[in-house]
Amino acid sequence: MDLISIMILAALASTARVFTVIGLSILTGWGFGYISIKSKVFENVYVALNEVFESVPVIAFFPVVLILFVNRIGGFVGVELASDFLVFTAVVWNIWIGIYQAFKTVPIPMIEEIENLRYGFLDKLRYLYIPFSMPRIAANLIPSFSDAFFYIMVSEVFTIGSTSYSTFGIGSLIVKLVRLGMWNYVSYALLILGIIIGGSVYLLREFSTYAIARYSLESDIPVPRTRQIQRYVAKFYSPIIKPTKRIRYYFASKRTPARGRRGKGGYDYYSERETGQRILKVLGSAVALLILGIIIYSSFSLLTSITYAEWRYIFSNTLEIVYALAYDYARVAVIAVLSFLVALFVSYSIVNHRRIEALLMSIIQILAAYPAPAYFPILFAVTYGIVYRFSGALTTEFFVILLGFLSTFYYIFYNIWVGIKAIPKEIWELMDNLGMSYFQRIRYVVLPGTLPYTVTGLTSTINSAWGGLMIAEYWPNIVDGKSLEVSHGLMKLLDVWTYQGNLMLASWASFIFSLFVIVFSVVFTRNMMNLSKEKYVIEEGIYAT
Amino acid sequence: MKKIIKGGEVGRVLEAVNIGFTYGKRKIFEKISMSVGNGRIVAVVGPSGVGKSTLLRVLGGFLRPDEGKVLLMGKEVTRPTPKIMLIHQSIVTFPWMTALENVMLGLKYRKLPKELCKAIARQMLEMVGLEGFEDFYPKELSGGMRQRIAIARALAADPLVLLMDEPFAHLDELTAEALRRELYKILFNVNSTLKGVILVSHNLSEVVELSDVVYVLNGRPATIVAKVEIEMERPRNPRDQKFYYYIDVLNDTLLYKGEV
Repeated sequence: MDLISIMILAALASTARVFTVIGLSILTGWGFGYISIKSKVFENVYVALNEVFESVPVIAFFPVVLILFVNRIGGFVGVELASDFLVFTAVVWNIWIGIYQAFKTVPIPMIEEIENLRYGFLDKLRYLYIPFSMPRIAANLIPSFSDAFFYIMVSEVFTIGSTSYSTFGIGSLIVKLVRLGMWNYVSYALLILGIIIGGSVYLLREFSTYAIARYSLESDIPVPRTRQIQRYVAKFYSPIIKPTKRIRYYFASKRTPARGRRGKGGYDYYSERETGQRILKVLGSAVALLILGIIIYSSFSLLTSITYAEWRYIFSNTLEIVYALAYDYARVAVIAVLSFLVALFVSYSIVNHRRIEALLMSIIQILAAYPAPAYFPILFAVTYGIVYRFSGALTTEFFVILLGFLSTFYYIFYNIWVGIKAIPKEIWELMDNLGMSYFQRIRYVVLPGTLPYTVTGLTSTINSAWGGLMIAEYWPNIVDGKSLEVSHGLMKLLDVWTYQGNLMLASWASFIFSLFVIVFSVVFTRNMMNLSKEKYVIEEGIYAT
Repeated sequence: MKKIIKGGEVGRVLEAVNIGFTYGKRKIFEKISMSVGNGRIVAVVGPSGVGKSTLLRVLGGFLRPDEGKVLLMGKEVTRPTPKIMLIHQSIVTFPWMTALENVMLGLKYRKLPKELCKAIARQMLEMVGLEGFEDFYPKELSGGMRQRIAIARALAADPLVLLMDEPFAHLDELTAEALRRELYKILFNVNSTLKGVILVSHNLSEVVELSDVVYVLNGRPATIVAKVEIEMERPRNPRDQKFYYYIDVLNDTLLYKGEV
């Protein structure tokens, strides 16, 4: 078989992997989403775990995946599952939480109708819940597709110690071609990948348009887009900062009548009398407790299996890990600020120019799905000389930030763009009418008015920046014998320790990293999210009965 | 039909000269000439979808007419200006700003010192009856109070003309009636630079209660089919015989086309 045909097959194999994983996420999301609205115990565990894992970047799963799939299962199947699992962790949380929120916001009259007709479990899913979740799934598809492709490039080939593992796909093929210096074929592979990604994005866009047109509710009542279900973790942790809130939650829950509590407990009002529903409820609780049990047991087993000498060893490296993490947070901050500024000014500039907007959005959607690690070596080769002349000693940092930016800029861009699009036309007219200047508009209206969208986008951007850093901070022999390697950085340490086969330190570093990320998420992101939802919802500025 | 009950202009502030507007391939209205005189409230009535709100946006410079021109104090209006302030049907306030900050937004373009802006904004809030509510956020206020904020913000911009697009449509009848009664006093008080108001409405009682001149818009494309001058003392009593008379006249002009 000639190389071009192999490239086409490899690109198709990677695409099939991506779609399979997305499909699996949707299927499981429907199942778990339905159990969630029937069982409060399951719902609490499910939403809390989703919240935690959603805020943990994919790379934190890397050592776990290597231990579980590569070491324990091993062989072709183990490597394939490791690759698929990494991609799964990149896409699944958004899809699951989206479906869950859709299931929780099905209008009461529709549920009454379906209960009235005494539909069974499968029919309820088929005729009500699944169609209702379609617009949310559609909204998540393109970002999930981009995320999946980014990680498929990283996970199709990886090295532990002296062993290199790879699965068949366009990611592993491009890596091989770059190593062999077959640049012509690298460009062909990128072209083929570009065509397949362009086609896939087109199909996904068509599907999104179809899904939204067919399954969105047509209603005069505005959909509360930003006042979604209050998430479990936010609800639980925010009272720590403001203790009186917990008391208020308690009394509010006591006061709220059963019909008004759908945001918390689903539709038990209708289902308690039915045996089938009760079984589902018990089953949900049992599954939730089982998951919690497994997590507690695994953690306990892991902790007790580590010897005293090993504890001393990993503790002696902890300071270095925290120090390296501080460096990386500084890089992430630069990437986030840069992405935010570009997203804000570009979105604001294009949003009132329909043709430019349509063209630029199509290009950005394809670029976003085009995995940065695939084309970055070419970008590096072409620009290294110029960048070195201007940046000197900061050249490495420049390229690390650039790759981080290229791999994560899109999330905040999409969000801010949607946020600016959501500004009601009355407010645009008012800004024109008051003769507000460019910066007055940005300062007094656009920035505060898009805050809920900005916080969401910024969270995704920060979470995804770690993936870019993981690749950029340690990339030996990226092109022509040149390497990209920072002096300090946790992602580099993770890369090096994994490369050396030191999975214990890699896992410990991942654990510490995850702790920081979760604390950051709870203390900063969730509170920003709550604040923005309480005060900065621009749609609430329009009063129309 | 061109039914003119009584004509006569008093010092034109805003004037539309033979304007027309097309949206896509559809001609919305054509050959519209109208004006608002000094100290007067002019109303535009017509059936739903006839193009009243579009006309208002053309008068405000938000949309460019295909034909004719709009003049403000004799100068052509080519883009939105704080001298012609629009008050929306859906009440617009900024949820992250207090009532005072919302009103201060209307003063930004004037580039005044911050303390002076605050003082003017307080004065405007007092004028619309919101003294004591300066630090309240819009969501803490009723619909009527929010509309007062929007009016105060518009007046803070020192406009010559106010365009009001069904300003009471989203208020309950009691609140709307209370605001209507105060409106004339609020708009044409000594502190206001306002010279004229154009009000779009399909509520004929409201129109008779508030306006001095009524233009009736009808047909496809829409044209002005009648101009009615309301000659009644203020405050106007809706139970007055003359009040009923004007409502009947307006009803007749609208029903003539068979569209209401």
